[in-house]
Amino acid sequence: MDQEKINAIDIINVHCQAKGKEILHGISFSVKMGEVMGLLGPNGAGKTSLIKLICGLGPCSHGEINLMGMPAGMDRDVTVKALVGLVPQVNNIEPELTVRESMICYAELYGVPQAKQRVAEMLDRFDMLSWADKRPEQISGGMHRRAMIARAALPDPEILILDEPSVGLDPELRQGIWQQIENLKKMGKTILITTHYMEEADHLCDRIAMIKEGKLILVDTAQGIKDYAAGRHTLGLTLEEAYLELVTQKGAEADGLGSCL
Amino acid sequence: MGWVPVYKREMLMLIHRIGGMGYFITGLLFPMIYLLAFGWGLGSSVDIAGGYIAYLAKGMLAISVMMNSFQQTVIAISAARFYHKTFQTLKMSPVSNSNIAFGMAMAGVTRGVVAGIIIYVTSLLFFGVEVMSTQGAVGLVLTAMCFSSFGIAVGMFINGQEQFSIVNNFIITPMTFFCGSFFPIANLPDIVYRLVQYLPLSLTNGLLRMYQWDFAAVESACLLLVITLAVYFWSINRIRHYNEFK
Repeated sequence: MDQEKINAIDIINVHCQAKGKEILHGISFSVKMGEVMGLLGPNGAGKTSLIKLICGLGPCSHGEINLMGMPAGMDRDVTVKALVGLVPQVNNIEPELTVRESMICYAELYGVPQAKQRVAEMLDRFDMLSWADKRPEQISGGMHRRAMIARAALPDPEILILDEPSVGLDPELRQGIWQQIENLKKMGKTILITTHYMEEADHLCDRIAMIKEGKLILVDTAQGIKDYAAGRHTLGLTLEEAYLELVTQKGAEADGLGSCL
Repeated sequence: MGWVPVYKREMLMLIHRIGGMGYFITGLLFPMIYLLAFGWGLGSSVDIAGGYIAYLAKGMLAISVMMNSFQQTVIAISAARFYHKTFQTLKMSPVSNSNIAFGMAMAGVTRGVVAGIIIYVTSLLFFGVEVMSTQGAVGLVLTAMCFSSFGIAVGMFINGQEQFSIVNNFIITPMTFFCGSFFPIANLPDIVYRLVQYLPLSLTNGLLRMYQWDFAAVESACLLLVITLAVYFWSINRIRHYNEFK
């Protein structure tokens, strides 16, 4: 297979059920290598569920997911597991461990050579050295999110999945997180990011997939989405206005947008 | 050796937790109270070769290894799944399901054996228990592996504290009292004896009181090994089917 044509993530007609209820309805899209893809949608749209499927934390009831051309079902091969780093919505650094210890454990799980040295490098790169020996309860939310991103990037995975990485952070800290994501993008990492901050999606993402009630309604660039929504109603929309137009206010119409994918 | 990072991570967390009294209280106080209460209260009126306190001390050793291996593993896994959300880190890492299970199980074995050593040394110093046989040591290590694997399977299966209580009340507590820790299982009614003689704790209690590798000892050790392997493979299966949508 031509290496250049392999997508980092292929999501093919994915359906998912939770507790007897269908929560994803035939989602299909791809994320190219080195691309930053935004995943937008209202609360309960299915963004985190889709991320869990990509990470192998649950089964698709139908459809398939491929990572770098390799099947990525729930019982995936360890080589496929090594491709993905996740920053989940919930801060999940082990409460008993310091940030440094947690990162060393993580590095060892991923078989990173010279784990301690690599962790020290990452702590330095993410400007975390001054509080690396504190436990999660002793650091702020912003530090926690930064540590989570550093930890996910530690084993140098090809694909990074960031589930609301800047939620609850003040604008200054959010800018810091953006800077780190941009640095990861410059390193050629493929990034899938969910967010409720439209300016964040506008600023960081090459393309955006919008989902609502478990259905994919649009995949385009931020400008393409603005233009599409503007063409339907008014001119000069921001991404937030376009998002509200497509996802919230005209939900019923949005259901019919599949043809513009 | 993919299980080693899993084991090291669990041990590091245990070392941090061990400073808190919770670990010692739940793991050691309970068997100590039983040992003192039953030993002092009933010791003089129970006729068992070698003395009742020495008999009971071995039973408490088996119970404390079982309890610590099982309960500490269930608590570690269920807390990682439900409260700290750290289990997904383990599941997503490039470590195979069997290595995750083995690393967690070995951490459970360590928890159980450490608790067992403390009980054993206390019994040796204060209650005159004889030096442990190799049969007994093999039995304790296998039972620690068996119950830590069981702890993994239960920790992966349950959906909350209530289900943990059900397992504790209907499986662990009956085994505690009916598997030869407090009295020989030969004293049980025949039908109950037939049921409990092949349970892992009964086999361990039997091995703790054997001093030769005769047929009975080999048979008990082999049975315990088979049960342990079955439970271990069950625990791997539960990790394989880890599903955050349930």
